[in-house]
Amino acid sequence: MLAMHKLLASIKKEFLLLWNDKVGLLLMFAMPLLLVFVITIIQDSATRIAAENKISILAVNHDQGKSGAELLSRLTESGMFEFTHEDHLKKEDLNQELLSKGRLMALYIPSDFSARLAAGAEEISSIMLRDLGLEISDAMISSPPKTNVAFYFDPVLQENFTTSVQNIIKAFITNVETALVIDQLYEDTEIEVKPDELKSRMLANRVEIDMYSAGRGGSGMRPNSTQHNVPAWTIFAMFFMVVSLGGNVVKERNSGSFLRLKTMPTGFFLVIFSKMFVYVVIAVLQVVLIFSVGILFFEKLGLYRLTIPTNYTAFAVVVLLSSLAAVSYALLVGTWARSLEQANGFGAISIVLFAALGGIWVPTFIMPDFMQVISKLSPLQWCLQGFYTLFLKEGNWVDLKWVILSITGFILTCHAGIYLRLRSDNLV
Amino acid sequence: MSVGISIDLVSYRYPSEDAYALTSVGFTVQPGDIFGLLGPNGAGKTTLMSILTGILKPEKGRIIYSQGELALSEKEISRAIGFVPQDFAFYPELTPVQNLEYFGAMYDLTRRDIKRRTDELLELLGLSAVGNRKVGSFSGGMKRRVNLAIGILHQPQVIFLDEPTVGVDVQSRQAILDFLVRLNQEQITIVYTSHHLAEAEQLCNRIALIDHGKVIACDDLDVLLKTNNSRDLQSLFLNLTGWSYRD
Repeated sequence: MLAMHKLLASIKKEFLLLWNDKVGLLLMFAMPLLLVFVITIIQDSATRIAAENKISILAVNHDQGKSGAELLSRLTESGMFEFTHEDHLKKEDLNQELLSKGRLMALYIPSDFSARLAAGAEEISSIMLRDLGLEISDAMISSPPKTNVAFYFDPVLQENFTTSVQNIIKAFITNVETALVIDQLYEDTEIEVKPDELKSRMLANRVEIDMYSAGRGGSGMRPNSTQHNVPAWTIFAMFFMVVSLGGNVVKERNSGSFLRLKTMPTGFFLVIFSKMFVYVVIAVLQVVLIFSVGILFFEKLGLYRLTIPTNYTAFAVVVLLSSLAAVSYALLVGTWARSLEQANGFGAISIVLFAALGGIWVPTFIMPDFMQVISKLSPLQWCLQGFYTLFLKEGNWVDLKWVILSITGFILTCHAGIYLRLRSDNLV
Repeated sequence: MSVGISIDLVSYRYPSEDAYALTSVGFTVQPGDIFGLLGPNGAGKTTLMSILTGILKPEKGRIIYSQGELALSEKEISRAIGFVPQDFAFYPELTPVQNLEYFGAMYDLTRRDIKRRTDELLELLGLSAVGNRKVGSFSGGMKRRVNLAIGILHQPQVIFLDEPTVGVDVQSRQAILDFLVRLNQEQITIVYTSHHLAEAEQLCNRIALIDHGKVIACDDLDVLLKTNNSRDLQSLFLNLTGWSYRD
């Protein structure tokens, strides 16, 4: 009975200390919510530029023939691009146009575009006819110079994005060229029928790509900015409580409260347990709050709705382990730091570094190889992998095995460090 | 029945240091004493108090707490002693009532006892009107009284006070000293350290002077003054510990 009273009193004290730490509460609840909103909105719009929105391109078509217009028409019909036509501009104006008017991309089609493509088609047609045994001499096969279209882009655009756009344009130029070759071939062989059917069949995409997101379930969870950012920034928030909890431990120790407790009939594990209990509850509340916002409000803001995994038990275990890892790390920092400045400074910086390395800000797969190896040392990465396994892959317990083992190992290591420090301070 | 303490040739060395902080310290605190543990800075007073309160374990020697003929067990000792450290060892973010509720529970007191003692102590120490205000906003004297209240909340039979009146005004100091005398009249043993020698002279019936980790004098105050031919505690202190600076 007295032991329970002691435990409840200790837990109540921790709650009161936390309740009086308004800045700490703001850091634990308001900051992650703000981060989740801001980062998700930013990443979401970036993803949608490529995935859903049309890509705006300034088009300057100086082509004397039809192929330039044909190319732009096909690109427009693809639904991926939206062209602003300003044919009066000169090629040398385009650089300044991008720099001064904030345009992101421009496509310049030179005046000889059609002529050069036609010459190329003639060349291919002649080669084909010669190879078919028709009376075409090599002397009749000319090699016309290639034509260049110019693609301007703002350097702020990511390289992979501009390369993708460039490849799409190349693919459509090939389409236009192929159509010209067919026309030329029909003309050279004096076939009177129009080659429309042949062209449409040759240019039709015969291979479709079916997209599958690798996962065990069939709930249709799709990797998107919400599925990444909500768990990622929740983990960040959990670990960032090092600023509040670490400082709390330093203050108690430096005030002499811990030593005073040592003169009382109370084990120090009660203090540690109470702190862990209260802050794990806080971490779980962070999950509930941020995930609820992801489920209930994101859609209303035009973001993807958060999809929760169906394996609730595994989800609860990952949340609990992540919370325990965050709290244990905060206690470790608090027990080893000698001053509030040390605890707050080292605690905050270490979490920001762990977050950057652990793929909270950007997924680890886009990091350089050596950084991907280093990222595996971040406890935030292990927690994030736990959430990814459930949120994106609908993984099972076997998939979670290494995540559970590594986080548990981290928690035990933290507690070994806490014990050593408390022992050297004569507190246990 | 009052509790006495026998300190039996206690030595202690901090793990990070070569020299001993205490060397073969031995004396007895009689039940019901107000015992002054005096000495210059770095003499070893706080180390000895940490050993007496169980915060540190002696490297050599032993401490025996006894009530009559009976030696107290470790568990009985932790309930019998109260410690009032020099630091404000409480939670400034909480009120005196919340602090006392917490530490009372840590002393294994029931809710009812905590409530009763909290009311009593806040009244006795002149803190009733501010019982629900955060301690962080208190003056130094009020904080000292809260610190004292926590140390005696569980009605200990021995109270250790490490410079309980440092940094307080005359009124608060006198209130604290009067309160300690009242506690002593209830047969509570008090072990006390201070740099205020006049205050110690006013309060203590027995004195131990410690310097360089050793006891250089220990007896009834009257006897010490007489045998050392000193007119007061300050001259006795300077005669025995010298006039050089201590850091």
